[in-house]
Amino acid sequence: MQALLDGRLWLITLGALLVLVGVNTALQPNFLDPSVLQSNLTTFLPLVLVAVGQTYVVLGGDIDLSVGAIVALVNVTTVSVIAALGGTNEAVLAGLAAGIGVGLACGLVNGLVVAVLRFQPIVTTFATGIVFSGLALRILPDAGLPVPEVFWRGYAGGAFGLPTVVIVLAAVVAVTAVVARRPFAIRLKAVGGQRAAAFQTGLAVGRLRVGAYLLSGLFAALASLCLTGETASGDPLMGQTLALSSISAVVLGGTALAGGVGGPLGSLLGALVLGMIGNVIFFAGLPFEYQTLVQGLIVLAALAGGVLVARR
Amino acid sequence: MKAAVLAAGLALAAVTGAGAQETFTIGLSNGWVGSEWRTQMIEEAQAAAAAWAERGVTVNVVVQSANVDVQGQIGHVRNYINQGVDAIIINPNSPTAFDPIFAQAAAKGILVVSTDAEVSSKDAIYVGIDQKGWAMQSAEWLAKTLDGKGSVVTINGVAGHPANQMRVEGYQEVFKGYPDIKILNEANANWDQAQGQQTTQTLLATYPDVNGIWVQDGMAAGAWRAIMAADKTKSIVATGEIRKDFLDLWSKEGLTSGASVNPPGVMASALNVAVHKLMGKTFKDGVFGGVYGNAIYIPIPFVSNENLEENLKAAEGKPGYWSVTAEVSPDEAAAFFQ
Repeated sequence: MQALLDGRLWLITLGALLVLVGVNTALQPNFLDPSVLQSNLTTFLPLVLVAVGQTYVVLGGDIDLSVGAIVALVNVTTVSVIAALGGTNEAVLAGLAAGIGVGLACGLVNGLVVAVLRFQPIVTTFATGIVFSGLALRILPDAGLPVPEVFWRGYAGGAFGLPTVVIVLAAVVAVTAVVARRPFAIRLKAVGGQRAAAFQTGLAVGRLRVGAYLLSGLFAALASLCLTGETASGDPLMGQTLALSSISAVVLGGTALAGGVGGPLGSLLGALVLGMIGNVIFFAGLPFEYQTLVQGLIVLAALAGGVLVARR
Repeated sequence: MKAAVLAAGLALAAVTGAGAQETFTIGLSNGWVGSEWRTQMIEEAQAAAAAWAERGVTVNVVVQSANVDVQGQIGHVRNYINQGVDAIIINPNSPTAFDPIFAQAAAKGILVVSTDAEVSSKDAIYVGIDQKGWAMQSAEWLAKTLDGKGSVVTINGVAGHPANQMRVEGYQEVFKGYPDIKILNEANANWDQAQGQQTTQTLLATYPDVNGIWVQDGMAAGAWRAIMAADKTKSIVATGEIRKDFLDLWSKEGLTSGASVNPPGVMASALNVAVHKLMGKTFKDGVFGGVYGNAIYIPIPFVSNENLEENLKAAEGKPGYWSVTAEVSPDEAAAFFQ
């Protein structure tokens, strides 16, 4: 058991996910309908993306509290660019590119301030998050500015016989698999696990940490584009809960907050578990006054369970 | 076996089709739980649903209420769609973000009614007050009480929130009609009573000769506390709010105040309209108006020094957090239909 779980804490998360799927199917008989599965995946996907990006930062021993604000800033940038260019198909592409550019830029700012100026990551990203939110409100003071139908119909639809959300999920898995095979992944874990030792062995610690923040910004941007596809409009207050939820998903997925141990696949499963908990609670028919409380308790139990199994 | 189930189902459909006993399931979604107002809103809607039993209609409600962002509330709607409810009543966190999901709900034949904040979706209707009219009514009161002249500060809710935006437009329009009223500052205190109090303190210190304060909702209680602390209850008039504890204070301290009522009964009103619609009725021509042309506006009561006593009487025995309310009854709702 111990040997099997060594370095594979995500197996526990997978087990939890399967249990939740079983319970949910019992409570909601149409859960396995393709349309219902797609609907659920659409709900879970943004958190999955943000959590995957967050994983890289956490692996490097840092944290990114600004991801929710990046999501909002990318969203308002994308919809504003699309609207400014007249809502054509080219404008949609330009908006997508601008959004990803903004996400990367936010990641770069975080990375430079944390890794080069050596500020505390938790406080820094809390503060940059406020700056990003402020910028989002400056760009789009109130919710609105609908995107062209081609945008959200494309997101709700599909290509090559597969729903768009499934393609996005597959692409995320592919990207994480590629990153995992790059030297970057191992070096980043070294930076998170033993920063001084990593520095002394000559690793470019600063550059690796900036790289992790860039990935976090990129995945936050992708999450934002998905949310824009789901909401079809701009909202400067979007994504406020994503920062802490993504950190929960990362920890649920078996990545150590201290850094150095874990991986994005676990976070993906962790995000799905968090989403499924919400689902199960709804379909269990609990009175709404208790839903949030029970949700919190189950998340706590899941986190504690992972920690206890890992300790043994 | 399958045939038997099918036959039973058809028989059941025939019975319900005959209209002996109609049963509807309605999902209620609330995306923000920061105030008792929202709790009262849900409780009144639940009571309104139960009251339909007297008319031979069973209305089951399913409630989802939590602090969620727009995406989380879209999750509420998805759950209702997947569950197969007949109607969804939502106090939405965004005016536009629900367009795609409401389209999906409508495609499955689900009636969507938003309340308290308007939505742009063509697939939904709005039943609630006109937030702009709400603000205009109290701004008008403030301007008249000040005899059309003086310095005013305003304290608003959350910047970027649609209802807040409409309210700001409302008072700005009214004050524009009074050239001798000067708006010195427009602050945001996030609909938080404590922040409302702090902001008022700061504003009073910055502008010692302010004559009027236009402040939204529960923040008014905070603002009035700051006014009382500064010993300016006689020299400043400010808008008030509709919670019982504030009405008590208002009466006890002899304040000069006026409050537009955004009744927590809006969701119950929306539910009563929805049930008529679910029973197959058709809306009258011309009932819809509003920014998006899909809104049914309901009356906005007003509390001022003139009718304060009546409102206090109605609030007797209620807890301090209880808000002055009103609801469109099933009979009144029927007037919207052919």
